[in-house]
Amino acid sequence: MNVHFKLTVALLGGIVADLRRPHPFAAERAGFIGCKVSRCRDGLLVLAHTYMPLPDDWYADDQRFGCVFNSHAMRAAMQFALTNDASMFHVHLHDHKGFPWFSRPDIRESARYVPDFWNVKPMLPHGTLVLSADAAAGLCWYPEINKPIRISRITAVGFPIRFLGGSF
Amino acid sequence: MKTIHIRQSFLGERSHELFTGVRIGVVGLGGGGSHIAQQSAYLGIGHFAFFDPDFLDFPNLNRTVGATLADANAKTPKVAVAERVVKSVNSDAEVWAIQTEWQKDFDSLRACDAVFGCLDGFSQRAQLEESCRRAMIPLIDIGMDVHKGDPYSISGQVVVSMPGLPCFRCVGFIRAKDLDEEGRRYGVAGGNPQVVWSNGVLASTAMGIFVQMLAPWCPIRSGSRFIGYDGDGFTLEHDSRLTVASQTQCTHFTSISDLGDPFWNP
Repeated sequence: MNVHFKLTVALLGGIVADLRRPHPFAAERAGFIGCKVSRCRDGLLVLAHTYMPLPDDWYADDQRFGCVFNSHAMRAAMQFALTNDASMFHVHLHDHKGFPWFSRPDIRESARYVPDFWNVKPMLPHGTLVLSADAAAGLCWYPEINKPIRISRITAVGFPIRFLGGSF
Repeated sequence: MKTIHIRQSFLGERSHELFTGVRIGVVGLGGGGSHIAQQSAYLGIGHFAFFDPDFLDFPNLNRTVGATLADANAKTPKVAVAERVVKSVNSDAEVWAIQTEWQKDFDSLRACDAVFGCLDGFSQRAQLEESCRRAMIPLIDIGMDVHKGDPYSISGQVVVSMPGLPCFRCVGFIRAKDLDEEGRRYGVAGGNPQVVWSNGVLASTAMGIFVQMLAPWCPIRSGSRFIGYDGDGFTLEHDSRLTVASQTQCTHFTSISDLGDPFWNP
C-alpha cells in the first residue's frame, strides 16, 4: 500500500521550530500530529492538521535516550485522537541535511506505543515521522496489519511544494 | 535530464524528476483544460488524471487544442483527445482518462498532487475546491467570460486555492450571492461564448504558476494567487481583493473535520 503523508508548509515550519527548541535535559524534543485520512486511487492519504508540542515537564529524565516522554504525553495524544476521530503521528527531528531514518531505539519504542492508539481509534492508521533539515521519513501502522508500512511519500504543500521523502 | 527538456534546465537539476513524478488532475477538458493538457505534456509531466464526461462536438472545435474534424464527426470523448495529445508528446506518460463527472471518482482526484479546475459555474468550482481542500491538493482555477453588451467584453481569472491559505470565498472569488444567482438560472444558461486565445492566455498563466509552485526559477512570494484578465486591454493584474484577504487566515476550511474522508472505513 502507498501511504502519502501531507502537511502544509506552515505546519511543517511550526513543527520544526518547536522541535529545535532546546530542552532543559532531553537531547531531543518530540510531538504528536493529529491527522485525518482518506483513501485515494493509488493508496492512502494521511493529512496533517494539528501539532501537539510536548510541554517540558512531559519529558522523562532518562539519559540513555535522546527523548523519553511520560504518560501525560500519551494520555493527551490519545485524548486528541478520541475527541477528533484522528490518526496520530509521533514526530521528532534529526537536525541534519539529507534523508533521515529512525534509530534502533526509535523503531523499538514506536512499535510499542504507536499501536496503543488503536485502543482509542482501532479503525485508523497511526504512525511516526522523523524529520531532517530538508527531508523526512515515516512509518505507518495500518489497522489489522501488524508490521509498519514505510511511508512512500511525504509532501509539504505550499509555495513552493516540497517533496520531503519517499518517491522523490 | 532528457535532451527534449534541455531548454528548461534553468528550472533546476531536479525539475525533470519532479515533473515526471507528479500527477496533475485536469477537471474539464474543453477550451481551457485542453491547453493545460498540452502544455503539461511539453513540460514533461509524467502522470495525469483527466475528468470530463463530454464528447467532442463541432461547437468545441473553435478552441479545443488537439481536436480534429474527425473527432467532431466521431464524437470522440474529450478525455480521449487530451490523452492522445499527451501521448503524442510523451508516450511514457500515465494517463487516467476518466470520462465521467469528477464527483463520481473522488479516489482518482485525491491521488493528484495538483488540480487544474477548468469548469463553468461557481457551484462546480465551490464543490471542487472543497474536495481538493479535503485532500490537501492545490487547486488552480481558470475561467473566462465574454460579457454580452454594447460592446462585448472579455474577462477572466486565474485563482489558486492553496491548502492553509485564503480560499475562493476568502478572496471574494466565490460569493453566496453568485451561488444563489446561479441556482436560480440553473438549466437556462445555454452555451456561453468562448474563444481560443483568451483560454490560451489563462491556461499559460496557470501553467506558469504551477511550475513556480513546483520548481521556482526565481524567489517567489508566498501566499495565494488571484490574477484578473482584461481580455479587451490584454492585461493580467493581481486582484486587489487578495491583498486584503492575504492578511487574514482562511475562515472557511479550518477545522480538522474539513480534512479527509468523512466516511472513512479501512
